[in-house]
Amino acid sequence: MSVEIPKTLEDFPNSSPRFVGRGVDRVEDPHLVTGRTEFIDNVVLPGMLHAAILRSPVAHARITGIDVSEAEKLPGVFAIVTGEDAKRWSFPPPTAPEEWGTHCMATDKVRYVGEPVAAVAAVDRYVAEDAIELIAVDYEPLEVVADPAKAMEPGSPLVIEEKGTNVMLQRVFNWGEVDEAFRDADRVFTEKFRWNRLGANPLETFGVIAQWDPVAGSLTLRASVQSATHFGLGRAAVFGLPSNKVRVIGHPHGGSFGGKGGTRGTDVTALLTRKAGGRPVKWIEDRAEYLTGGGSQSWDRHYEVSLAVKDDGRVTGLDVKLLDDMGATGECFGAINTVKPLAAFTGPYTIPVARYDLTIVATNKLPQSPYRGMGPPPHFCALEQMMDIAARDLEIDPAEMRRKNFIPKDAFPYTIASGNEYDSGDYEAVLDGALELSDYPELRERQARARAEGRCVGIGVVSAIEPGVFDWNAYAIVGVQGIGVPEGATVSIDILGKISIRVGFALEGQGQYTLATQLVADYFNVGFEDITVVPLDTFSAPPAFGPGGSRLGVALTGAVLGACEKLRAKLVRVAAGLFQMDPEQVDLVDGNLVAKGVPGVEMSMPQVVGTMLARSDLLPPDIDPRPEATYVWTAAGRTEADEEGRAKSYLTAAQAVHVVMVEVDPETGLVEILEYCVVDDCGTRLNPATVEGQTEGSIAQGIGAALLEEYVYDDQGQILTSSYMDYLLPTINEVPATKKGIVVTPSPFTPLGAKGCGEGAMHTTPAAILSAINDALVPLGARATEVPASPNRLWNLIRGAKERTAGE
Amino acid sequence: MTTQKKAISLSVNGISYEASIEPRMTLADLLRGELVLTGTHVGCEHGVCGACTVLLDGRAVRACLMLAVQADGASLTTVEGLETDGELHPIQQAFIEEHGLQCGFCTPGFLLTVHELLENSPDPSDDEVRDALGGQICRCTGYQAILRSVRLAATRLRDAQAAASSQGS
Repeated sequence: MSVEIPKTLEDFPNSSPRFVGRGVDRVEDPHLVTGRTEFIDNVVLPGMLHAAILRSPVAHARITGIDVSEAEKLPGVFAIVTGEDAKRWSFPPPTAPEEWGTHCMATDKVRYVGEPVAAVAAVDRYVAEDAIELIAVDYEPLEVVADPAKAMEPGSPLVIEEKGTNVMLQRVFNWGEVDEAFRDADRVFTEKFRWNRLGANPLETFGVIAQWDPVAGSLTLRASVQSATHFGLGRAAVFGLPSNKVRVIGHPHGGSFGGKGGTRGTDVTALLTRKAGGRPVKWIEDRAEYLTGGGSQSWDRHYEVSLAVKDDGRVTGLDVKLLDDMGATGECFGAINTVKPLAAFTGPYTIPVARYDLTIVATNKLPQSPYRGMGPPPHFCALEQMMDIAARDLEIDPAEMRRKNFIPKDAFPYTIASGNEYDSGDYEAVLDGALELSDYPELRERQARARAEGRCVGIGVVSAIEPGVFDWNAYAIVGVQGIGVPEGATVSIDILGKISIRVGFALEGQGQYTLATQLVADYFNVGFEDITVVPLDTFSAPPAFGPGGSRLGVALTGAVLGACEKLRAKLVRVAAGLFQMDPEQVDLVDGNLVAKGVPGVEMSMPQVVGTMLARSDLLPPDIDPRPEATYVWTAAGRTEADEEGRAKSYLTAAQAVHVVMVEVDPETGLVEILEYCVVDDCGTRLNPATVEGQTEGSIAQGIGAALLEEYVYDDQGQILTSSYMDYLLPTINEVPATKKGIVVTPSPFTPLGAKGCGEGAMHTTPAAILSAINDALVPLGARATEVPASPNRLWNLIRGAKERTAGE
Repeated sequence: MTTQKKAISLSVNGISYEASIEPRMTLADLLRGELVLTGTHVGCEHGVCGACTVLLDGRAVRACLMLAVQADGASLTTVEGLETDGELHPIQQAFIEEHGLQCGFCTPGFLLTVHELLENSPDPSDDEVRDALGGQICRCTGYQAILRSVRLAATRLRDAQAAASSQGS
């Protein structure tokens, strides 16, 4: 049965929808504001033990001995595991690139500070922490490699000896005649950029309760996990278990942003429950563990970027060389961060040809994890600086430089050089909106006045793309297989007409349960109070991936509306049978089953449902009698990646223009944001209030990236930022109020025309702030090329520029 | 390494409790583990993020940095104590209406900090709000919706106060 998913709200069987497209209150919030949401650390199981993990204090060393005898004697200790148990009961995890993984606890040597070495399960966390203090580990130091360039040199210490190299991946992708474009260019600009490690830092760390069933040989995991299905399959591979022996129960989680992590800790906890004979074991990652050994770190990049430009400002070629320091292994799929830029390599521009010279290297640092945006934000930060460098040289206004190169609105769907297809957009309208909203001419006048007073004030005008609705095919070149990411929903009506929506993902914070409720309420013309959203575990949920890759809003809309359509068709058939009519003569209208053109012949939904539940003798013989339907949505038309990695991958392309004004204090290097304007187009806004929340939140994370956040390692691989005193998150005092405007070009490819918007401004904000800083620094003759542009970096830049000037 | 337990008594959200605990137990662990008041969340365990903020004799404190024994004899309010007979506190209601939360993990700490602020300063300027909330980290919202929530809550509370005093006069 083919299912026609409504393309617009007008296709709903409801003459007066009340919820979709409105900023309604979220159904999640009453539990959250009263402290009642069941986060994983709230859960207590009978007989539950608590885990603590002993982690390596050094970056690279051979383990020559572990003595757990003193710890074993401590009252309250039930189980201790080490690398020997990991070897006995588990395998290295799936990785990207493939086969760059190690066991969940060090088996022969440690490869980064924070790597698990041993773990204890005890009556409570206090005793477990006491016990790991009693474990003695002998380390024989090995030479450390903490620099990716050095890691590539012959004779470098090897992070994983068996690989024979530290180079995880090295490839050059050519999309079109790149050399020719650079040969034919009027001007070529080249610059190096450094993006330092930063990461997700959700306020809740990762947590899990693992329970091994020794009789069934099965594992149950309750966890604050972003994608339960994916997580479960990975754990089945790690423990050599059939996939139907690993059950994952997702719990609401206190943020994720891609960097929830937890796989290693989960695997260690699973070993503990097995060693403890099946007693459930809880492990709650503490913040120091998260910062040094969790899913906390992403994007450790060294860029060299060249732009081929014509004198009229047209950009004719882009050449990006990237060296990314992945850390010790590929277990957290951090390599995906380096290839997602293919989904939007040339940004919002018509740049016809491009090259990507990509090298991913292993070092003695924490393995990289995903983070909001999954890789393009640093890429856009570099690309947008190049656009500014070219504009400045050509004496073109940065806004007009963008306009000259924008993909025109009549060119969609538009295939970019790196292979992905953008669905729709009106980039000039977005730019014009941003220039108007910010009163750009007035900003330039303010800047001129400030400069006349000797102040360093700058304006950034940048644009970027947010690829939405990810597909695995985008990551083919780092060894991720397959096409298609499912999202399923079951919509079920009970005998009193109350509706349940069953989904396969836990609450995360973007308001997805509210979205599902809005859709069903409008489809069946009922109220929020008539609907419950029920998250299910991996043994009972419809096929699902959950949040990730700016997909869930779109995918869930498809799943829920598909299920509604199937359920409508079923109700219509039953009602038609009862009316003794053909199904074509019956329709669902405003929540009632009505005979078309026969006034008065109608049944309410509860009447039809009641008949289905109680009177199977009255139903058409071939109908499934349950008043429910399940639909699984996937993005259509995704293609297999070719040899150069090109594929139709991400389904939607949201676009934004940010206009930012900053002032740099030359005496301190401190940056103050004076104005922040954003206009964006993410298609139809299904709940404008939650979309606005995603925008505001991702601007804050972008500000953190641009100015504050950085994981610092010394040359011995020792992490120097293991608390929030050192790793700086934006507070309310760093995040300014923003002016916001919107443009809406609905996606032609998605249900209701929405585009992925969850990763949002993270793509644009760091670039916008760096552009503004560089505009401010022009009179000083300095250019910032390193992120975060922290006060010490800017102060040094300014001082260097002054010394150069004085020396001339 | 365990030490002799110490008996303490305290009041939380108007209920009296007695507990026998190790001196090293944090106030957060007492509230969450022993008293099963799990609305107090622990985000960083080193006093920076503010998620675990509770009110101790009316003042905001970090439950991760205090030892439970230090709360002996004190009167505490946690997020569970903000409601009255199932009716949300105006601050809670304002956070819902202004979308002042997303994942909600930091929210209890924000609510209690705002509670303290508005008790002391019923009509705070934005700068005052920023100053009061400078020690609370939210990773989801970017704070703008929180600022709007506080403004709404302050207005509602002032209106309720005015209505109550006009009725009383």
